[in-house]
Amino acid sequence: MSNVLLWAPLAFGLVGLSLPRRAVGPWAVLGTLVTLGVAIAMVVGFDSGDSALQYVENTPWISGLGVDYSLGVDGLNLFLILLTAVLWTGGVAFAAFRDYERPKTFFFAMLVAETATLGSFLAQDLLLFVLFFDFMLVPFYFLFGAWGHDRSGEGGPTAAGATLKMIIYTLIGSLLMLVAAIATAIIAADGGHITFSIQALQEQGIGLGSQRWIFWFFAAAFLVKMPAFLLHGWMPDAYRAAPLPALAVFSGVLAKVGAYGFLRIVLPLFPDATVEFQEVLLVIALASILYGSVMAFTQTNVRLIAGYSSVAQLGFITAGIFALRADGSDGAILQMVNHGLVVAPLFVIVAILLERTGTEDIRAMGGMALRAPVLAALFLIVALATLAMPGSSNFVGEFYILNGLFQAKIVFAFIAISGVAMSAYYALRLYQGTMHNRQPEGLLSREIGLRDALVLAPLVICILALSLYPQLILKRTNPSVERTMAKVTREAAPESKLAEGSTPIGPLTVQEAREIIQSAPAPESRPVVGENP
Amino acid sequence: MTATAWAWLVLLFPLLGSIVIALGYRALPQKVAGMIGTAAIALSFACGVAALLSLLGDEPEARHHASSLWDYASVAGLDIKLGIYLDQLSIFMVLVVTGVSTLIHLYSYGYMQSDAGYHRFFSYLNFFVFSMLLLVLAGNFVLLIVGWAFVGFASYALISFWYRRETATRAGLKAFVINVVGDIGLVLAAFLIFRELGSFDYGTVFEKAPQVFSTNEWTITAICLLLLVGAFAKSAQLPLHTWLPDAMEGPTPVSSLIHAATMVTAGVYLIARTHVLFALAPTAADIAAFIGLATLLVAATIALVMTDLKRAIAYSTMSQIGYMVVGVSIGAYGAGMFHLMTHAFFKALLFMAAGSIIAAMANEQNIDRMGGFAKAMRFTSVTMLCGGLALAAFPLTSGFFSKDEILAYAGARGGMYLIFVVLGYLGAFLTAIYTFRLIFRVLGGEPCAEARELIETGHVHHAEPRNPATNELEDTDVGFPGPEHHIAETSAPMRIAMGVLAFLALVGGLVQVPGVDNVVADFLDPAFEGPVLAHVHPSIEWDWIGLAIGGAISLLGIWAAHWLYVANPERPRALEARFQGVHDFLFRKWYFDELIDVLVVRPALAIGRFANRVFERLVVDGLVTGTEGTVRGTSGVVRAVQNGFVRSYALLLIAGFAGLALYFLLSSS
Amino acid sequence: MNIEWYIVLSSLLFATGVLGILIRRSPMVILLCLELMLNAGNLALVAFSRMVGNEQGQVFAVIVMVIAACEVVVGLGLIVAIFRRRLPLNVDDLRELRG
Repeated sequence: MSNVLLWAPLAFGLVGLSLPRRAVGPWAVLGTLVTLGVAIAMVVGFDSGDSALQYVENTPWISGLGVDYSLGVDGLNLFLILLTAVLWTGGVAFAAFRDYERPKTFFFAMLVAETATLGSFLAQDLLLFVLFFDFMLVPFYFLFGAWGHDRSGEGGPTAAGATLKMIIYTLIGSLLMLVAAIATAIIAADGGHITFSIQALQEQGIGLGSQRWIFWFFAAAFLVKMPAFLLHGWMPDAYRAAPLPALAVFSGVLAKVGAYGFLRIVLPLFPDATVEFQEVLLVIALASILYGSVMAFTQTNVRLIAGYSSVAQLGFITAGIFALRADGSDGAILQMVNHGLVVAPLFVIVAILLERTGTEDIRAMGGMALRAPVLAALFLIVALATLAMPGSSNFVGEFYILNGLFQAKIVFAFIAISGVAMSAYYALRLYQGTMHNRQPEGLLSREIGLRDALVLAPLVICILALSLYPQLILKRTNPSVERTMAKVTREAAPESKLAEGSTPIGPLTVQEAREIIQSAPAPESRPVVGENP
Repeated sequence: MTATAWAWLVLLFPLLGSIVIALGYRALPQKVAGMIGTAAIALSFACGVAALLSLLGDEPEARHHASSLWDYASVAGLDIKLGIYLDQLSIFMVLVVTGVSTLIHLYSYGYMQSDAGYHRFFSYLNFFVFSMLLLVLAGNFVLLIVGWAFVGFASYALISFWYRRETATRAGLKAFVINVVGDIGLVLAAFLIFRELGSFDYGTVFEKAPQVFSTNEWTITAICLLLLVGAFAKSAQLPLHTWLPDAMEGPTPVSSLIHAATMVTAGVYLIARTHVLFALAPTAADIAAFIGLATLLVAATIALVMTDLKRAIAYSTMSQIGYMVVGVSIGAYGAGMFHLMTHAFFKALLFMAAGSIIAAMANEQNIDRMGGFAKAMRFTSVTMLCGGLALAAFPLTSGFFSKDEILAYAGARGGMYLIFVVLGYLGAFLTAIYTFRLIFRVLGGEPCAEARELIETGHVHHAEPRNPATNELEDTDVGFPGPEHHIAETSAPMRIAMGVLAFLALVGGLVQVPGVDNVVADFLDPAFEGPVLAHVHPSIEWDWIGLAIGGAISLLGIWAAHWLYVANPERPRALEARFQGVHDFLFRKWYFDELIDVLVVRPALAIGRFANRVFERLVVDGLVTGTEGTVRGTSGVVRAVQNGFVRSYALLLIAGFAGLALYFLLSSS
Repeated sequence: MNIEWYIVLSSLLFATGVLGILIRRSPMVILLCLELMLNAGNLALVAFSRMVGNEQGQVFAVIVMVIAACEVVVGLGLIVAIFRRRLPLNVDDLRELRG
C-alpha cells in the first residue's frame, strides 16, 4: 500500500506527459484523487492502538552501503500523509481550473513534488529520507522559477532570482544533513556492518560527543525548511515569487517535513543531545513565535502575512516537540495538520482575491463581504482557525502544545502564549482588511465561483470536522508519540548523570557512552518528566 | 427525559437556528428567518424550563449532573470530553440567558426589519446564544474556554456588524483582542489547575481542590488571579474595560443582549462557578472585590458626563457588573446572581428603549440634541422610566432588592468589608444621578426637532445616516441602518418584549424580599455548599435597615438629578465650566484608552516596524545574501572554466589524458 | 615490418587530429580532425592485432568505423542545423554552454 501511495502521483504525472494539453489538468486531479483515496484507505485500516510501523515495505536497495528501500507508517506520519494527499488534491484542482502556460510540465512538476513529499514522510531509512528531502526541492525549483511572479518591478527579485536564493539556502542545510546522516550510520556501525535503517540506528545509538554536532547538522536542515527565526530569510522573496497553487502545498506541507524530521529522526537517534539542547531549541521556537507574529502584523502583502504567521505557527510546533512531553508532541502533530489545513485555503483565498482585485496589498482591498458573502464566510472560518480560536482544532493543538510546555518549562509557556494574542490581531486584521471596511473605488468584488468553491469548501469542511473531533488524530498519534518520548525521557537521566559526573565530557566512543549509560541507576528511580505531584 | 438530555437540547436549538438561517440566507424570506431565530431561542428556553423541572425532582443536594457526548481530546493524560455540567447555578444562568434572549430576539425581529443584513444578524445572534449557553453549561475548563471564546467571537461579529463602518470594525477588533487576553488568562489558569490537580473536569477539580491546596497557597492564588484576568476581560472590569464603550458601535439589540444582559456577566458567573477555588484563596477574592469596587465607582463617574446615550448606559453596565463582582467575590453568591438577573431585566430594557429613541432620532445618539420624548413616545418613555427606576434602585423595584442585598452581606461580614458598604452606597447615589440625568434630558424638557416631527406628523424623522465619530456618510449598502426606522410605538414585537421586561424590572425583585421570601438564594444555596462564607447571612433587621438607607439614597440621587438637570438647566454647564479639569478627566474616560495606547499598542507597533525595517533587512537578509553570495562566489571560480570554447575543453581533456598517461608511464617504469 | 613504424604513423595522425581540433574553428574541419584521430586509433588497433596474431583487434577497428559513421551523421546533422538557422559556422561564436 505504501508503494502504491508513493508512486501513484509520479505514475500519473508520467502518463500525463503524453496526453493532450487540455486533458492533462483533469488527469492530474484524478491522480491526486487516487492518491487521496489510498491515503484515506490507509487511515481507515490503521490500527490506532499500535505504536509500531504499519504498511511496511522493506527491500534492500544498495546492500553494500546498508541502504534499504524501506517505507512505513505510524502515528507520527499517518496524518501528515493524509494532509499531503488532501492539500495536493486541492492545489492541483485549483490549478486545473485555470490556464497555466505549459500545463504538461506544470502538472508533472506538481505530481513529482507530491511523490517526493510523500517519500520523505514514508521513508524509514535515513539515507532514503535525505534523498527524498532533497528531491522535494527539484520540482519546486521549476514551479517557483518558471511559473512564479517577477517582482523586479516592485524592487524585489525576479522569480528565478528568488528561487535560486531559496534553493541555495535550503540546500546548504540539506548538505549538512547528508553529512550528518552518513556520519550517524558510520559512527553507529562502529566498524561493523553499516545500516541506515532508522530503527536499527535507534537500537545501536551513538555517543554524546558525536550526537552533539550531528544534532545541529540535522537541526540546521530542519530549521531552514520550517523556516525558523533567523533562518527564514529565504521565505519572503520565495513566497512573493511562488505561483499560488504551488505555494499552498509548499507552505502547507513542506514546512512540516522539518518539524516531522525532529520527531522521526532527531529525538529517537540523538536523545541525549536533544535533552541537552532542549532549551536552545525552545529559545529559537519562542523567537520564531514572537518575531513571526510581530512581523505578521506589520506586513501589508497578504502572502507575507500568511508567511510570517507560518513562521510563528512552526515556532509553536517546535516548542511543542521540544517540550519533550507526550502531550506537547501530540499537540505538535495535530497542529502540523491543522496549520496545513488553514494555510492552504488561505493561499487559495489570496489567489481568488488577486484575481478580483489585481493586488496583494491589504491596503488596496476592502469591503468585499457584501458582494461575496460565501467567500467571506469561508474566509472567516479559515481566519478564526488560523488564530486558534477555542473550539477549533487549532486551539486543541495549541492547547496541547502549551500544556506540554507549561508542565515542562513554565516560563517558556508564559512567553509563548503571548503569541496567541498577537495571532488574534493579525488574523482578524487580514480578514477585515479584505472583507470589511470601505470598498476602494474601482475594486471588483464578486462571489466565489463554483469551481473555486469546490476546492475551498472541502478544505473548510475538513477544518470544521476536525474541530468537532480532534480526537481522531490524537488517538492514532499518541501511541507512537509515547514511544518516541519514552526514548528521550529514558535517556534523559543518564545524560544528566554524564553532565554531573566526574567523567570528562569530550567526544566519547560508543563503548564509553554505553558503559556510562549502563552504570546509570535503574529506570524506576529516574524522574519522569510531567508526572503530577 | 433526564435533566441533562434537556440541557443538550437547550444547546442544540440555537445552534441549529444559526446554521439554518446562515445556509438559507438566500432561500428564506426575511420574516421566516427572524421567526426561526426567535423560535429557536424560545424552544431553548422551554427546554431550560423542562430541565429545571426535572432538576427540581431531585433532592436539593443531588441537583448536579454531568453528561458527555464523546472524547474531544483525551490522550497523554489530558482527559477532555465534550461534556456538560448541570446544577442549580448553570440552570439559573440558562434560564436568565434564554429568557432575556427570547425577548431581545423578539425586539430585533421588529427593530432590525429594514436592515439588509437581517439574516446575518439573526444567524450571529443565535450563534451568540448557543455560545453563551455552552459557556454556562460547560462541564470542564476547556469547554468553558471554548464557550468563552465563542461569545467573544459573536460579540466581535455583532459589534462590527455594519462592517463598512470603520469605527465599528476597529471596535470589534479591539473587543476581540482584549477578550483574547482574557482567554489566555483562562488557558493559563487551566494549565495550572491541570498541573496541580491533574484534571480539567469541574467535578474532579472542585472535589480535589480543598484536599490539595491549603488556604492562600501561592498556586491557588495564582490560579484565581489568572481566572480573574479572564473574568475581567469579559466583564469589562478595570483595566480591561476599554472595549465595552466602543462596543456600542454595534446595533442596539446587540448592546442590549450581549453587552448588557448576558455576555458581560460571564465573569460574574465564572467567579461564582469557581467559588470553591476562590474560597481557598481569600486574597485573590479580595483583590477581585476591590477591583469590582473601583470599576463600580470609576464607571459611575464617567457615566455622569457621557453625552452619547448608549455609551452612558454602557458605563452604567460596567458599574453594575462591579456590584455583582463585589457580591460574588465577598461570598454573597446568591445576592450576586440575583443582581445579575434583575440587571439583565432592567438593563436590557433600558437599551431597548434607547434603541427606540435612537431610531426616532434617525440614529443620532447625542443626548445634548435630544429632549421631550415623553410626549412623543409614550410607550418607550414609560418603559424607559421603569428601567431607570430599577437601575436607580427606587424602592420596591427589582434593582432595589438585589443591590442592597449585596451591600447588606458586605455589612454582615464587617471589618474591612464595611468599605464596600460605604462606597457601594456612594456608587448607588451616583447611579441614581446619572440614570435620571439621562431620563430627564431625553424624556423631559422641550421637544427637540425630531420629537416635534413625531408629535406633529406621526412620522419618524429621517436623515442621511452619518457616523457620529467621524461624521462621514454611512455606507448603507450593508444595511446601515435601513431606510425605515422602527420604534416601539409602531412595532408590536418590540412592544411585547419591552412590556414584559418592564414588568419584570418593576416586580422581579419580589422573588427575594428579606424576611418574606428567598426564592433565588434558596434555590442556589446548595450549589454553593462548600465554603464557609456561604453560611454568613445578614440578619433580617439589618437587611431592612440597609434597604431603608438604599431607598433614601436612591431618592436623594433622583432629587439631585432633578436639581441639576431640570430645576435649572444652566447649572450643569456652570459646573462644567467651574470644574473644567475634572470634567475633562471624566469625559476622556480617565485616559484609560490613551494609557493602553502608550503602554501596549505603540511599543508593539514600534517593535514591528523596527523588525521590518532594520532587523529583517540587515540581519536576516544579510544572512541569506551572505550565504548566497559565498556560494555564488565559489561557483564563479568553477564557472570560469566553463568558458564555452570547444577548444579549451578539448585541451583540458587532452591535457588530462596526457597527464594520466604520463603518470602510468612513470609509475610503471 | 617493425611495429614501431605503425605506431609512429598512428601517433602522427593522432597528433594532427588533436592539433586540428585545438586550432581550427570550423566545425567541419573539427569533424574531419576527429575522423583523423579515430583512424589513427584504428591503425594502431590493426597493427597490434597483426603483431599479436589475433584477429579480434580488427573487429574493434570495424566497430570504431561504425561508430565513426554514426558520429559523422550526428555531427553533420548538427552542422546542417546550425547552417539552416544562419548561425555562424564558427565554434568560438557558439558558446551557449558557457557557465
